[in-house]
Amino acid sequence: MKHYDILIVDDEQRYADMLARRLELRKLRCKACYDGRAAIKMVAREHFRMVILDLRLPDLYGTEVLTQIKTSRPETAVIILTGHGTERDREQCMARGAHSFMNKPLDIDRLVAIMAQIKEMPE
Amino acid sequence: MTQSPNSLLSSIWPQFSRNGEEHLNPYYTFQDYRQTWGMTIFILMTTALLPLIVMALIYYQLTETSINTEALLRTERLASNTRRAVTFFLEERLAALTFTVNEMGYDRLTRPGVLSEVLRNLKLGFGGLTDLSVMADNGTQVAYAGPFNLEGKDYSDQPWFMECQQHDACVSEIFSGYRDVPHIVVAVKSKRPDGHFFVLRATLETERLIQTLSAFKTGEHADIFLINRDGLLQTPSQFYADPSRHVSLSVPAYSDRTKAVLSSDRSGLPIIVGYAFIDTKIAPTGFILMVVKQKASMMKVWLDLRSDINWFLAISAASIAIVITLTSTVMVNRIFHADREKAKTMALAEQNCQLASIGQLAAGVAHEINNPLALINETAGYVKDLFLIKEQYKEDTELVEHIDTIIEAVERCGTITRQLLGFARRFDIQTQSIDLKEMVTDVINFHKKEAEYRNIAISVDIPETIPLIETDRGKLQQIILNLVNNAFQAINNGCILDIRAEMDGPEQVRLFIRDNGCGISEEHLGKVFEPFFTTKKEGQGTGLGLSITYGLVQKLHGNIAVQSKTGEGTTFVVTLPVQTKKEIQA
Repeated sequence: MKHYDILIVDDEQRYADMLARRLELRKLRCKACYDGRAAIKMVAREHFRMVILDLRLPDLYGTEVLTQIKTSRPETAVIILTGHGTERDREQCMARGAHSFMNKPLDIDRLVAIMAQIKEMPE
Repeated sequence: MTQSPNSLLSSIWPQFSRNGEEHLNPYYTFQDYRQTWGMTIFILMTTALLPLIVMALIYYQLTETSINTEALLRTERLASNTRRAVTFFLEERLAALTFTVNEMGYDRLTRPGVLSEVLRNLKLGFGGLTDLSVMADNGTQVAYAGPFNLEGKDYSDQPWFMECQQHDACVSEIFSGYRDVPHIVVAVKSKRPDGHFFVLRATLETERLIQTLSAFKTGEHADIFLINRDGLLQTPSQFYADPSRHVSLSVPAYSDRTKAVLSSDRSGLPIIVGYAFIDTKIAPTGFILMVVKQKASMMKVWLDLRSDINWFLAISAASIAIVITLTSTVMVNRIFHADREKAKTMALAEQNCQLASIGQLAAGVAHEINNPLALINETAGYVKDLFLIKEQYKEDTELVEHIDTIIEAVERCGTITRQLLGFARRFDIQTQSIDLKEMVTDVINFHKKEAEYRNIAISVDIPETIPLIETDRGKLQQIILNLVNNAFQAINNGCILDIRAEMDGPEQVRLFIRDNGCGISEEHLGKVFEPFFTTKKEGQGTGLGLSITYGLVQKLHGNIAVQSKTGEGTTFVVTLPVQTKKEIQA
């Protein structure tokens, strides 16, 4: 079974795929999925080092997905990447165990830096 | 409530001028405060003073009428009494003569010495007789007693003699006759046994009559005298004689009763004229008794009283006018101030409303744009990644530059959408106790290097008396940062930035951020808080900084105002509550 480092969860399919490709160019193994329930299932089934999670998903709200992921896999780091994140969202997400909170449009270098930081941390 | 003399003066001084606040004019309830004020005073004055004046006039009218009636009655009574005295004077003498002719008869009277005897007796009894004479029916004087020797004179053409022939007796007017001394002739006719008649005539001194009249004079301005029917004065008049010895008043029409009328003299002064036509029981006379009184003297008491009332009325009216004017001014001032507050609030509300709707629109736009923007970013980023990472593309540097331009543009769009969202959103406020001085110092520290480099003097004056402020740290920091940034952009090298704070009452803090930079022109001053308004060159500013600052200050339940003059600098004044009220947080 292929081992993935990162799960990208975003309702905009093309965005998720594009981000996955960019990260793959940087030698990171990525998988994309497009709704919250699928993401929860995937995280429970497979081990991901980190999850890049959008807050606006068609079925569940991102914070709910975050809670579930952190319950089933506390060791998985979750990076929130959203277009309309408010201060409150940031606080809520951080309180629920998110590693960091980023806004779209994304600064890829910052994301890569954060990921490098996560890889440094012991699992 | 205690008021200082200054505020008392300002509350009674008209303040409802609206010069210089034209932008508030559409929000006023009343359009013309001066007119409102004038109308109020006019209506109150009319209501208060009109009844007073009308009552006073009615009272004057009634009093004057009753006083006139009273004066007429009094004059009429005086005339009536005087008439009785004059009539009695004449009748008494006529009666004496009648008695004499009937008692003694023609023969005895014409006997020498007898007439002198009778004259002496009459003088003793009545006095005031000058002489007596007996006339035959042809008018020849047949006997005479008295100081003048007038025997044998012919009186047949004398008016009194002719009148005596018609009536049994007569009273002449006062005339001077042959002797050139004013006198009255009274005469009675009697029959001799042979059927011829004879006349006994007496000459009366006028002195007695004048004395009788003057006994009735009362007061300085009363005048009592006799005239004949042509208006010729018979006894002297104190005030109403003209050079031809005629009375200077019109001769009244005949009446058999005593009368009194209102009239006026030659100089127009009101007078009361009482008159009576004198007739004796035996013979008519040509005398008219005149009693003339000046109305002014009779009404003096009343006129004095009226003058007092007039003074009282004038002083009352003046006090009422002052009280009404002051009260109206105070009331209209209060209405005006309340109205101005209302207008200010409404103007502000309208501005807020405008900003809010612009904000909602902006938020909508930002949301919709952000997703495609993110996709462009990732796609362009991917292409760039390919060029940077894959060996076969690395050589082509031009394409990478183009992609960098796209990514840069996306970044700029991203900044705008983030700021737009920030402007529109209302976050919960996380209150903390904040030391304003510490925060300002922190913010200034960000700019320390730039200030040193540009030689900008920053002075901070926040007194120790400013208390800790209960508010949102992040938002307050953002506000101060935005304003300081703004100032740094507005000033040239070598200028001054001055930050100071003061208390505005016990519950508010005012923060002044003043620069002496380029300033804001008057036409731009009203728009500085509107989103996308900028005077910077395209691409250098989004025009959102101050509108976001405005939104943040609103969220902290504060106010922001700007004062500026082109070339002199700009001052932003942020007023914040010391305690943010949690219950009205959005």
